[in-house]
Amino acid sequence: MEVVAERKRTSVVGKNVRKVDGVVLVCGRPKFTLDVDLPGTLVGKILHSPHAHAEIVSIDTSKAEALPGVACILHHGNVERIPYTTAGQGWPEPSPYDSFLFDRKVRFVGDRVAAVAAESEEVAEEALRLIRVEYKVLPAVFSPEEALADGAPVIHDEEDATGIHDAQHNIAAAVDIPVGDIERGFSESDVVVEATCEIPYSQHTPIEPHCTVAYFDEEGRLVIRTSTQVPFHVRRIVARALGLPMERIRVIKPRIGGGFGTKQEIVLEDVAAALALRTGRPVVMVYTREEEFVCARTRHPMRVRVKLGAKKDGTLHAIEMEATSNTGAYGAHALTVLSNVGSKTLPLYNKAPHLHFHGKAVYTNLPVAGAYRGYGATQGYFALEVAMDELAERLGMDPIELRLKNHIRAGETSPIFEKIGEGREGKPMVVRSCALEECLKVGAERIGWYEKRSRRRREGRWAYGVGMACAMQGSGITGIDMGAATILMNEDGSFRLLVGATDLGTGSDTILAQIAAEVLGVPVERIVVYSSDTDLTPFDVGAYASSTTYVSGTAVLKAAEEVRRQILEVAAGMLEEPPEDLELSGEQVVSKKTGKSVSLSEVGHQATYVVDQHQIAATASFVPPESPPPFTAFFCEVAVDTETGVVRVQRFVAAADCGVPIHPKLAEGQLEGAIVQGIGHALTEELLFSDKGRCLNANLFDYKIPSSLDVPHIEVVLVKSEEPTGPFGAKSIAEVGINGPLPAISNAIYHAVGVRLKRAPFTPERVLAALHRDG
Amino acid sequence: MRLRGIKRFHYARDVEEALSLLSAYQGRAALLAGGVDLARAARGDLEGLIDITGMGLSYVREEGGGLRIGATTTLTGILENKAAQGYLGGFFCEVLRQVAAPPLRNMATLGGAVVSAHPWADIPTALVALGAEVRWSDEKGEHRASVEELWQGQFRKIFRNAVLTEIRLPAWEGAFAFEKLSRSACDIALLNCACGLGIEDGKIAWARVAVGATPRRGRRLTWLEDFLVGNQPGEGLWREVRDRVEAQVEVSSDRRASGAWRKAVVGPLVARTLKRAAEKMGDA
Ligand SMILES: Cc1cc2nc3c(=O)[nH]c(=O)nc-3n(C[C@H](O)[C@H](O)[C@H](O)COP(=O)(O)OP(=O)(O)OC[C@H]3O[C@@H](n4cnc5c(N)ncnc54)[C@H](O)[C@@H]3O)c2cc1C
Repeated sequence: MEVVAERKRTSVVGKNVRKVDGVVLVCGRPKFTLDVDLPGTLVGKILHSPHAHAEIVSIDTSKAEALPGVACILHHGNVERIPYTTAGQGWPEPSPYDSFLFDRKVRFVGDRVAAVAAESEEVAEEALRLIRVEYKVLPAVFSPEEALADGAPVIHDEEDATGIHDAQHNIAAAVDIPVGDIERGFSESDVVVEATCEIPYSQHTPIEPHCTVAYFDEEGRLVIRTSTQVPFHVRRIVARALGLPMERIRVIKPRIGGGFGTKQEIVLEDVAAALALRTGRPVVMVYTREEEFVCARTRHPMRVRVKLGAKKDGTLHAIEMEATSNTGAYGAHALTVLSNVGSKTLPLYNKAPHLHFHGKAVYTNLPVAGAYRGYGATQGYFALEVAMDELAERLGMDPIELRLKNHIRAGETSPIFEKIGEGREGKPMVVRSCALEECLKVGAERIGWYEKRSRRRREGRWAYGVGMACAMQGSGITGIDMGAATILMNEDGSFRLLVGATDLGTGSDTILAQIAAEVLGVPVERIVVYSSDTDLTPFDVGAYASSTTYVSGTAVLKAAEEVRRQILEVAAGMLEEPPEDLELSGEQVVSKKTGKSVSLSEVGHQATYVVDQHQIAATASFVPPESPPPFTAFFCEVAVDTETGVVRVQRFVAAADCGVPIHPKLAEGQLEGAIVQGIGHALTEELLFSDKGRCLNANLFDYKIPSSLDVPHIEVVLVKSEEPTGPFGAKSIAEVGINGPLPAISNAIYHAVGVRLKRAPFTPERVLAALHRDG
Repeated sequence: MRLRGIKRFHYARDVEEALSLLSAYQGRAALLAGGVDLARAARGDLEGLIDITGMGLSYVREEGGGLRIGATTTLTGILENKAAQGYLGGFFCEVLRQVAAPPLRNMATLGGAVVSAHPWADIPTALVALGAEVRWSDEKGEHRASVEELWQGQFRKIFRNAVLTEIRLPAWEGAFAFEKLSRSACDIALLNCACGLGIEDGKIAWARVAVGATPRRGRRLTWLEDFLVGNQPGEGLWREVRDRVEAQVEVSSDRRASGAWRKAVVGPLVARTLKRAAEKMGDA
């Protein structure tokens, strides 16, 4: 492992401290969204469209309204029509305003038609059954090809939608980024390979589905207690959707049972708030598992074609990447996920002077795609890393060798950083830390790459193989994301840390407390963390884009440094020494000169009650001028049953450079979890649809995610680097891990049996078909 | 919400009480064992649930090399039972260990599995191969049948007014093996197979072969059993089995797998299951 020279010794950062919310979670104390029981709460339920594409000719709610216990029914006829996006992103919002609270038209099976608030779930469901809707069914399209064809039905023909790239042709968003001269690049190349890989609909399957409680506080302000990754965006978007002033809304995010991106989306909060406003009563809404699959958000299904041109020595000379993304019925994250297919992948191999990244995000009459861990990079790396494997083979080179020859190094840049940003141009950036070379070395050693690669093992019907892939991601969104933190000192020398940042189970509350504790010279237990409450905590964009440790963490660092300065100032008065001579550690302010000291509680007491009384506190914000990429090298070993096509992942090794891990165990957990999700993508996960667009397997009985019994031996290694721009040298780790399994497993299958799997998931059926076709 | 109409919950003390409750409800009540199927059933018509797990029908008994298993014995209860572990070298436990996940096995009962008899399930395939016999009681008295006979008839109708009481697994001089193909460890089968062999003087003396989740419920391939008898186990035979099975077994498509894939893998699946059974006899 790389030894980072002369890193300052830390006492809290870099340690596996106890999670700040660990004990309450383990004890099962009520902490989650639905763990409140407000008197008079109504249950909200949504009527979903049975058709993939239809106009609503009429809605008759009279029977439903007559049902005892029904408080209110909302539909397009009795709510204001305001276009907005459900995607919880920064401002200006890069996703089109193509959604309405309720629309005159439905665009997929499961789309919103109406909502009911009733005294009980049973009554609400009965009311849904009593609503009579007359539809005029329209022709529907279920693939980007159909949607792009001449004469295809126009899914967004409403005139008041804005921000759609080309509504007439069902194109939600498009990108076209040329660098150099791609045709010349290929003609100058000695070897050219091409791979087209495809990912289907898959869902995040958080253990806790979307759920929300909307109610009014004593002052009549609307409180939305919700399972979200983006409380501040919820406030802004609900205010817009309902035409409410923002100061009338408070959003609280309690503990969350997982999000993985699907909770970067406003899918229930707007409806629950509307029902609460109309009835004046608390309203609770929860998605069933079926709704979670169909009506929350999914990964963008995508076909990505990658063409690589290289010189004989393996140096990449030209890379073309074309993405066709299916955004479903609405354009949530359509442009930004599409952009990330290229922006998070192409800089990894920055040696090629000629690049062309282009693609479209296309509307279809299928469920709505959105943010999902990896955010386009996962789709991009599948094709890129399979193509790299093919290129290595054509060149007669070891795949690791090919990566070493081409990957970006510290001190280097890529034109892509500047060309592609978050829905607009990006910012130039130099990579300041990169330990990928070391990751490749460590990973290869752990898996036993060279000996396993040189001889293929075959035992009876089982064929064994090893494969690898590399990936990077970012740490936050350059120039757009903002995180802020407030730290206040109590008179006993403890602190309150208020952050808008959103812990969705990742442990970010703990990590942010560690950063504050390190600066303030106290153990984590002396920091009380309160997060994600739009009334009480400062702004933060929320938990997405691998941003919290880097962006919010830096805000915490800055706030803590300011509080430290204030503490030293008070202590200087008490010790009668200049602040420059004072040090803060072990809950003491100590003079480096005289050795005299005061405790933090004495300082707190002094400032609060004694002399020049004031609140020691600071607020700091951070907008990242850069987005330092974490890097990971993935290796896996698979066994393929050549008679049935069954694939077993036997071992997985990932060596990652996330800078300095603030909490190594939590960082490892992020990596392991992402790899498991990636294995699900590779082997089992796929939503199936009927020819009428109805989802056929929207439940965990039919849609299979890996369970603990399926998870192979996973070894993760954190290879340290030090990111000079990050808090205590940290970068991100949350997403990068999901980018590797698809290509690494595909490449390992190729090594084992000589066939390339380019359509996920690699089911026994697809593997066997490929074996019969190409084997 | 499922089972929304339930108004009363009963604990039956014995079979008679369960039967009289069932008849009193005239079809609007159901017996509740582990409940894992009942909880998934969209039976809005049900008004009463009759818990039958306290009627003394949870037991496993060894008898002459075979097993008698009470209908409400949970799958975990069987897995933890010494006699069950010893039965046919642990064959039945080997099957049950591949059924769903531990929390589910803690609830699910063998009787429930027989009454539900899901076509995709593993237990029916194994019971058919074993030639299991079941006993049930209705108002007319006690009845018995082999599972094959039972499932060929209108068994769902029978159990609207009957209590399954016991499942009997016979003794066999030989060895059984089970194989299942699925997408993940806790998944139901895409195809499954249970085989048993008796070998005398190096030749197959008897054979039992059942294939399930085709996607139809497990059934025996008697023509293959007949063919196997008198043959010598070995690679040549297994190759022959592969080809014959592929040519003759009827499979089709469902959402989980296509008929083409099932056709391609059913031969190898049966051959490998038979081979493992033969290996267990120490006579591969
Ligand atoms: C998620 C899941 C995964 C599964 N995976 C597998 C698998 O991999 N392999 C496999 O083989 N099986 C599998 N199964 C099937 C499982 O074995 C059966 O569902 C289970 O054994 C049913 O038992 P139970 O006691 O829960 O039945 P219950 O739900 O209690 O009852 C089922 C039905 O049988 C009736 N009933 C129950 N007991 C009696 C009785 N004694 N007399 C008369 N009627 C009765 C009930 O009234 C009801 O109609 C799975 C099931 C689920 C839900």
